[in-house]
Amino acid sequence: MPERPEREIRRGRKGRRKVCTFCVDRAEFIDYKDVAKLRRFISERGKILPRRVTGTCARHQRELTVAIKRARHLALLPYTSD
Amino acid sequence: MAEGKNLYETVIVTSAKLGEEGSAALVERFKALIAEHGTVQSVDDWGKRRFAYPIEKQTEGYYTLINFESGPEFTAELDRRYHITDGIMRTLIVKRDPRHLAKPQQRAQKSEEAGIDVEAIAVEAVEESAE
Repeated sequence: MPERPEREIRRGRKGRRKVCTFCVDRAEFIDYKDVAKLRRFISERGKILPRRVTGTCARHQRELTVAIKRARHLALLPYTSD
Repeated sequence: MAEGKNLYETVIVTSAKLGEEGSAALVERFKALIAEHGTVQSVDDWGKRRFAYPIEKQTEGYYTLINFESGPEFTAELDRRYHITDGIMRTLIVKRDPRHLAKPQQRAQKSEEAGIDVEAIAVEAVEESAE
């Protein structure tokens, strides 16, 4: 991706641009069976992490939520845990 | 007649109470059912897995993935049969997009190497919002 000037809001901060992992991987689709990968996108309590935390792009976040929900249904991932 | 065939994948989770043979027999029955209405392409046995949360007070079950091809009307019937069969804890039927079919095998190792440091990013996000 070509260099773009950091936006004003980011001033005073070492700009670390978050990039969507799925775009980097060129993942064609997000697999609900890939538990190891999905785990990185849920919190300790089992919640799905927001885009602002993980840097996932909108498109992949949509796919990701579906994948996580499928995995939850099959008890591959927790709905909740404390 | 132009037959509309689709690709599907289905996961069957059977109760660990059935034991290895019992669950294998159950899966065999469904394989036969699928073969009647379409074609079974591959079967992937994941073996016994621990549930992420207890289901019907049980903590583990046998997982089996079946890839198959069939007409779209069959999935409803398959789902109906899943629901009336004892010993099945969970099931999923998903249509596979033919565009994604290339290589379903390589998923595991790929995700490992491109690890994203979620924690570091999370810390950063918190700092940012505190500003």
